[in-house]
Amino acid sequence: MARLIKTEAVVEGRTEVRWTLVEEDSTPEWPADQPPGVVGEPTTRLTAGARLSGSARYTSDMQLPRQLEATVLRSPHANARLTSISLDAARAVPGVRAVIGPGDCPQFDGEAVLHDEPPYGGAAVAAIAAETREAADEAMAALDPQWEPLGFVVDLDQSLENQTFQDDPVEYERGDAETALAAAELTITSDYLAPAQLHNSMEPHCAVADWRPDGLTLWSSTQGIYQARSQLCGSFGLDQEHVRVICHFMGGGFGSKFGCGPEGVIAAELSRRAGRPVRLVLSRRDENLSTGYRTPARFSFTIGAGCDGRLQAVEASAVMGLGTGGWAYPVLEPVKSVYACEHQHLMTLPMRLNLGPAAAFRAPGVMEGTWAFEQALDELAEAAGLDPLELRRRNHTDVDPSTGRPYTSKRLLESYDLAAELAGWDARDELRSDGRVRRGMGCASQYWWGGGGPPAYADVRIGSDAKPVLTVGMQDLGTGVTTACAVVLAERLGIRPDQVTVRTGDTDLAGHGPFSGGSMTLASVAPAVRSAGHHVRTQLLELAADMFEIAASDLELTEGEVRSTDGTLRRPIHDVTEKLGNAWVTGSGSRAPNPDGMAVNTFGCQIAQVAVDTLTGLITVERVVAVHDIGRVVNPMGARSQVLGGILQGIGFALSEERVVDPTTGTVVNAGLEDYKIPTLADLPEVECRFVGEPDPELALGIKGLGEPPIIPTPGAIGNAVAHALGLRLREAPYTPRRVLEALQ
Amino acid sequence: MQVELEVNGNRYRVDAAAAEPLSALLRDRLQLTGTKVACGEGTCGSCTVLVDDRPVLSCLTLAAACDGASVRTVEAEGDLLDRLRRAFTEEDGFQCGFCTPGQLMSALALLERTPHPSPDEIVTAMSGNLCRCGAYEGIAVAVARAAEAPA
Repeated sequence: MARLIKTEAVVEGRTEVRWTLVEEDSTPEWPADQPPGVVGEPTTRLTAGARLSGSARYTSDMQLPRQLEATVLRSPHANARLTSISLDAARAVPGVRAVIGPGDCPQFDGEAVLHDEPPYGGAAVAAIAAETREAADEAMAALDPQWEPLGFVVDLDQSLENQTFQDDPVEYERGDAETALAAAELTITSDYLAPAQLHNSMEPHCAVADWRPDGLTLWSSTQGIYQARSQLCGSFGLDQEHVRVICHFMGGGFGSKFGCGPEGVIAAELSRRAGRPVRLVLSRRDENLSTGYRTPARFSFTIGAGCDGRLQAVEASAVMGLGTGGWAYPVLEPVKSVYACEHQHLMTLPMRLNLGPAAAFRAPGVMEGTWAFEQALDELAEAAGLDPLELRRRNHTDVDPSTGRPYTSKRLLESYDLAAELAGWDARDELRSDGRVRRGMGCASQYWWGGGGPPAYADVRIGSDAKPVLTVGMQDLGTGVTTACAVVLAERLGIRPDQVTVRTGDTDLAGHGPFSGGSMTLASVAPAVRSAGHHVRTQLLELAADMFEIAASDLELTEGEVRSTDGTLRRPIHDVTEKLGNAWVTGSGSRAPNPDGMAVNTFGCQIAQVAVDTLTGLITVERVVAVHDIGRVVNPMGARSQVLGGILQGIGFALSEERVVDPTTGTVVNAGLEDYKIPTLADLPEVECRFVGEPDPELALGIKGLGEPPIIPTPGAIGNAVAHALGLRLREAPYTPRRVLEALQ
Repeated sequence: MQVELEVNGNRYRVDAAAAEPLSALLRDRLQLTGTKVACGEGTCGSCTVLVDDRPVLSCLTLAAACDGASVRTVEAEGDLLDRLRRAFTEEDGFQCGFCTPGQLMSALALLERTPHPSPDEIVTAMSGNLCRCGAYEGIAVAVARAAEAPA
């Protein structure tokens, strides 16, 4: 029987209270010592066949009959008023089927989509749908927009002076930081400046809209199909039943693709007006001007500690450049929550600038905050004459320091020990030299949420061919969650994961599932999948009991067979399911809530080894040891790949990635991939990746998320390694050759 | 403008626009959407296809310049390409898969030219193909493994 329960979930640092529909569940516990061969074995991706043959259809590949191509006019100015625009001239261009300008398009989440006063360079102003891209481009040229440039602010200090906030400032206090700082034996102050990092998912933001009298279908490259549906319902005043959102294959998101995006609303409005399907794919440059970035932030820390290195007080501020959107991402969370420290006063100031809206980017806030604070801790370790890892051990906490809640599990100390052993930490000073190439090693701790939670639902059916179909209301950005779900189902049904078909990414197909963010997807969905699988298992065993006249309790499903526990019966599962004919056995499952009153977090430690060429200023990350505590590892192969991906994006943040804004024009000068430099194969370090920790005893299936954790400590560990190598600290990332050489002079 | 070309062994005659890139011809006219366009400016490698056995960026290559050419895309068949597909699968050389068609075609071009590449040759040949998911380790190992595998 279903019931509504009230539950708490932490999503990227924000606690949400939700009412959730939950089914009663009799699925047995998943033993921590699961025998090998079903779960925990490397499993290749279910999507390999489609993705490696070119047959996978991504949103930008959609080609519906009579589909039009859309293009968007964007402001070239940092801030401007549109004084005139020739929409009719554009409409007169042959092949043009719809043209919309400011005032013609519904809002997106309460915000204007097409602007008559575009507040940043790259803000959308008008949109065109035409038979061909050439016709759309010709119509674009005919729009002849006239602008009145307005004053703009793209500088953090200036916006602070003007007190223009994009979101409410966040103040946090515990204890009495001022008094404790005054009394501290050791005090250090330090500042850090983090860059704006651009997501650059390989698949740009895109949407294909098909507006028909009986409803709207939107193919969207989205991290949240249900969120996209709600937004479209809100924008167009449609009922849920009349909006379908589809995302079968997706080319990455990294936090920039929640919901349908303005591109979804524009495509839908153009389709509504033209009476034809419309495809809108953003160019790489438009992508990098308008779809989000990790917020640049200036950090200031004053840290007070005892001579033993134990933290007593921290005063910290973070000034974030949010642009024209986004929220106060938890940039000071690493100060507040990772270590024991009684007295704190933290201030986060989310400033508005004439730049595109910020968006969540893989561990938003926490990664850049970790980069800054973990370096300040190394400065403290140096002042205290302590080994950096020893300083972290001394400040370990067994309860969440901001709430006093116990953790469901925490294996951070084990992570330090294992990482130190694998990295050769104790011999790290032997790496150092005075030569041209200087080596160093640095560490950083990792803290994140990721326990998942309701609501999440799954449906399983199995027919005569004994090959189950799993339907889940989620989308796979490319993380491999689809394959992990198949692994979880295969365990219950005693089959191989590659025998499972997983259907995702369609709001008409499945019950509600979570958006893909906050490292929540697998931890939310997997328990529902297992529960649905268990219902099917129970029914199959009952059918087998009837057929073979053995009690269901004496039967099990293993290695594709129905077996009796006494070993007398071994028959393929197919022998049972073939009796179904064209009927199915079905089962549904839902995600139960996490325990109340406990903190659910992931932890870890990374140690980076770098080589700095003091002649060229070039830094090479030679080796990264990554140890993470994520509870049960469902698919070691996919988990390792997540870690590698996080580390590489972290290397990009630390060494090469930085959106550059021209202060004289207020516009972004490196929106293309030739001058915004993301890591290549040549930047790949040797990676040693380990997972500590058993399944989390308090969480469903013991699973915690892994999407975000691996990027979090990488830049801080690199920063500390560079400081170890050079004996001086770079305070501004990325550590480009120019900054390295300037620091060395 | 009439363009005659062979794509994955099939012959086509197409009326292409003067400025039409090969990527658009493949994707929009021939419905071969395996080839991906991620930057449209020749900086990411996603759109890599083989023209007369050479890897080219199809987003910067004019369709009209391919008259008489033989083009191969990720949809092509072939033993070496199948070996690469197997190796990419087994080494987890992709995540979202959007850059993968370009990775596969660059790898195919490398192995056809240099059947047994050194690790440095693999890095040099594959560094023009960006992967934001960071599947580089799997890609590099997969290319090396496909080179070693028996045909």
